[in-house]
Amino acid sequence: MSSTSSTISSIPASASRSTRSTAWGHLRRNPLVGVGLLLVLVWLVLGLLAPLIAPYDPLRQNVSNRMRPPHAEHIMGTDELGRDVFSRVLYGARVTIPAGLMVILFGTVIGTLVGAVAGFIGGWIDETIMRITELFMAFPTIILAMAISAALGPDVRNAIIALVVVWWPNYARLVRGLVLEIKSKEFVEGARAIGATGPYILFRTVLPNCIAPAIVLGTLDVGNAILTFAGLSFLGLGPEPSAADWGRMVSSGVDNLNQWWTWLFAGVGIASVVLGCNFIGDGLRDFLDPRLRKGN
Amino acid sequence: MHKIFRFMMLSVMLAALMLGVFVSAAQEERVLVIGHAESTDSYDPARGFTQTTGFVNRVTYQTLVTFPDENASEILPLLATSWEVSDDDLSYTFTLDPNARFASGNPVTAADVVFSINRLKNVKGNPSFLADVIESVVANDDGTVTFKLTRINPAFLNLLCNYAFSITEAAVVIANGGTDAEDAATTDAAGAWLDTNSAGSGPYILESWEPTVSTVLVRNPNYWRDREVYFDRVIVVNIPTPASQKAALEAGDIDLALDLTADQIAELEGNPNVAIARFPANIVHFLLMNQDPEIGGIVSDPRVQKAIRLALDYDGFKELWGGVQPAANLAFGLLGALGEEDALDRDLDAARALLAEAGYPDGFEITLSYPDFSFQGVNMNINAQKIQSDLAEVGIRVTLNTQQLQIGLAEYRAGQQGFAYWFWGPDILDASDFFAFLPGGKVASERTNWNEGPAEIMELIAAAKVETDPEARVEMFAQLQRFNQESGPYAPFIQPAIQTAFRANLQGYIWHPQWLLDVSLLSRSE
Amino acid sequence: MSFQRYILRRILFVIPVVFGITFFAFFIANAVPADPVTANLPQSALNNPEIVETFRRRWGLDRPPVERYLTYVSNLVQGDLGTSIKTRRPVIDDIRRFLPATMELATFSIVVGISLGVGLGVVSALYRNTVVDYAARVFSLVGVSFPVFLLALIALSIFYVQLGWTSGLGRLDIVLQTRQPPAVTGWYTIDSLLRGDLRTFQSAVSHLILPSLVLGSYVSGIIARITRSSLLEVLGQDYIRTARSKGLRERFVIRRHAMRNAMIPIVTVIGLSYGSLLSGAVLTESIFAWPGIGRYMYQASTSQDFPAIMGVSILIALIFVGVNFVVDILYYFLDPRIRLT
Repeated sequence: MSSTSSTISSIPASASRSTRSTAWGHLRRNPLVGVGLLLVLVWLVLGLLAPLIAPYDPLRQNVSNRMRPPHAEHIMGTDELGRDVFSRVLYGARVTIPAGLMVILFGTVIGTLVGAVAGFIGGWIDETIMRITELFMAFPTIILAMAISAALGPDVRNAIIALVVVWWPNYARLVRGLVLEIKSKEFVEGARAIGATGPYILFRTVLPNCIAPAIVLGTLDVGNAILTFAGLSFLGLGPEPSAADWGRMVSSGVDNLNQWWTWLFAGVGIASVVLGCNFIGDGLRDFLDPRLRKGN
Repeated sequence: MHKIFRFMMLSVMLAALMLGVFVSAAQEERVLVIGHAESTDSYDPARGFTQTTGFVNRVTYQTLVTFPDENASEILPLLATSWEVSDDDLSYTFTLDPNARFASGNPVTAADVVFSINRLKNVKGNPSFLADVIESVVANDDGTVTFKLTRINPAFLNLLCNYAFSITEAAVVIANGGTDAEDAATTDAAGAWLDTNSAGSGPYILESWEPTVSTVLVRNPNYWRDREVYFDRVIVVNIPTPASQKAALEAGDIDLALDLTADQIAELEGNPNVAIARFPANIVHFLLMNQDPEIGGIVSDPRVQKAIRLALDYDGFKELWGGVQPAANLAFGLLGALGEEDALDRDLDAARALLAEAGYPDGFEITLSYPDFSFQGVNMNINAQKIQSDLAEVGIRVTLNTQQLQIGLAEYRAGQQGFAYWFWGPDILDASDFFAFLPGGKVASERTNWNEGPAEIMELIAAAKVETDPEARVEMFAQLQRFNQESGPYAPFIQPAIQTAFRANLQGYIWHPQWLLDVSLLSRSE
Repeated sequence: MSFQRYILRRILFVIPVVFGITFFAFFIANAVPADPVTANLPQSALNNPEIVETFRRRWGLDRPPVERYLTYVSNLVQGDLGTSIKTRRPVIDDIRRFLPATMELATFSIVVGISLGVGLGVVSALYRNTVVDYAARVFSLVGVSFPVFLLALIALSIFYVQLGWTSGLGRLDIVLQTRQPPAVTGWYTIDSLLRGDLRTFQSAVSHLILPSLVLGSYVSGIIARITRSSLLEVLGQDYIRTARSKGLRERFVIRRHAMRNAMIPIVTVIGLSYGSLLSGAVLTESIFAWPGIGRYMYQASTSQDFPAIMGVSILIALIFVGVNFVVDILYYFLDPRIRLT
């Protein structure tokens, strides 16, 4: 995590200098980005069209037809309650992907605001906020998220809340660092000299310069957020048990290791979406990291 | 001279060494290894109250009376050879077996019995509530002891078969800080010692317990009964994950796996090295519907309760877990429990009609709370999903609320759950356990707010509590079960089979409703 | 700022973090709407108020939270972490028992991660934008993208169930597990070698293979990324060009000039990864039934065992602070430009 942040913190100068067209050209030349976009797109389409494509109702049970390996009628077999695994995998995309995006969205917004305020005001407020972020970061993500969703009760919304709680400190620290840097720049001094007030400077000159890097960090992080959400769901702290959800489906593998079809396909779903996000993120990082571009 | 002496010494040592090797080879220790998801809180009979404690203390201690090896159908003598019940059914006098000896070699006396029972009462440990019915226990002489009860309890002898009433050797327990005084809850210090040692008269001695790792029992060389024990050493290894237990059993690392899931058992079928035993067990899984309209809401309506009972796919649950469909919340197998022929059949039309009559022709939405828990290989998560799907067929749209066990238990105990899924295993192997589910009983009043039933039922309950004639009791409990099936706020849906897998050469495995298993009955075919 | 003052400052910083963590952990443990009484007493015993009362007094649950917290902190200052409700052992003993298992796994995993990750990263950087580079990058991205729980299940079902090449769950074969003499280091690999007990050693290694490969492949992905990018950066520097133009052998240039200078970020990432492995890989330890800190913490938090939760939280905080401390010191020596404020 902190390795990502340190890479990102060097972004703003270069990012603002580059034009959109060169960025797109650069990304297009990287074949991994193409593969990543394709993977993510395929899952988004499959997820959106799940009700049309899925051969069965993902919730329909049939206990006399349970634990069947893949065959013509159920191409991915059936699970411990006789539900069609293929239909459940398709519907699973509708849960996990949006959840990961929500975590990033809220985490970025909250983290950016808190970090900006801390960096801008400085003093003991800054100190306190930074110590608090350290506390959050010293706690293992999964354990903290577990405690929070245990306190709130397990469901999708609470799992997202739990993840936002562990996610925002990263952004807060990144943005604070940027704000400290920007605060000393000439244009901020200038704005101050012509009599602009604190909030004005914060929202009109400082924050806009932090948004791009925060968005970049967010993009790089989507895969990670999806992965962690799936981990929570694997532990039973996400969607309700009968929901067609990837993490839930994989967790049945702990008891049913030999019935590989009940867990493998859902697992591949998680892995491929995250891989797609990370391919895109990797290309983006490659392009944005000035140290790497200098080598050309 | 010196050299010869040295040579002699050397040869003697060598001979001794060879002899040692020879002897130990000839008497290869017979070791039994059991894989088990340990649930032990303590091996102190006055404090431990879990399944693990049950089957370990079954062989390290003995009770005054006991059940047969294979069921709980009658009461047999153990430390007591005979007993007499007073005319008012309030006092029981036991005559001790004069041959009974503790592992130390000392005789089991009336004083030991008095000490053990008083210590159980006063220590206020987890099983101490079982002794609530005992008013006093007095030694008449070395060989007889009299219990006085606070009220008539037709199941008192069944109660005494519980391992909590194990007789400990008073002198040994006292020497290790134990006491049976009124203030034993704070002054008794023998718990830690009894966790890793035993002071009983059973065929085995507790050698060590390392929590979350293993428990080791060794044969009691001074065992007083002439029942042959095969294994010299029994190791209970803690293997919390069922998948690991299965793997260890397949590899031959363990002889017996106690916590496999139904699907894992199915996979072991056909493995020539593994044998499988199935017993109906005595755990009843049921839905609870709160009688208080404030809490239960729609499901507090008796018509809705009955509709839910009629909507469940009982055959499907049997397909999942084996076992039997209970007729009411009295575990099949206990004397007086109704059988499957008296159980409900699924009838979706009748269920829909009842819902319409109650004013919900299109069903309703409700949340079902249940703990995230697996017990004896039954995963409650799977049952909850099936309940959700079954009820959807009559239009009841269930949202599942999976809770951490403790969170759920707290709400359940406080009677705050409107619609919940739990299971129940009898504390006492007797029909009187069913009182808990009748109006005013423990589960009924505390957890479903069901305190009053029709007058004739309340009278029947009062009469059944003091009835001692077995046949009359069977008839009374049959009536009470039918009443609950018609009007109770529960939907018992499965009493799953307990399925155990063990190495094919292991013999004598029998599941027991009270102590799970008796390792002193096990042997290995050579 | 002098080095000594810097060190002192970092050490003083540990104290508020530890107390912050205890407060945080205590707050969370109390925010969960579950009662340790119901978590740790059987249902039927709960009906007897005297039993419940005894239990509450035993664990101090009858006193208000603030008082409990203060008692906890004052015991902590005296080095007493309290007793776990679940295992009934002092928390410090539990940590002593479970930490070596986690350390052993973390160390094997980080070795796998370093050898795989640095290798891939170097190859990637040297053959930049070739097929080799893409293959190596895809591999490292797969490493970080695959959920560890999925990887664990796949590894178990292929190498353990189907092929039978490795051992499965736990740290040792079960029969050996019950016959272990008292631990010296707590690492089964080392303890068994010290005793010359090859059977135990073999079993321990066989059990370590799968979980350390699973964790190692995840870590290797992160390490490979950083190795590639920092090596590329260094290779673009003037002094490398100079070295090359002097006609030095490429291998010599890479090893003596480039790698040495690319080490700072790589070491940092390795340190942080090791730290996170040490604080317990909850999912991996749970699936492999590995009796380490992660699993202990998971079990403690599902049974409201607050002394254990607090104890492990403090331990993890210390590991986190310690790792950051070491990394900072490395920076201090490796990169003189860093101004310490």
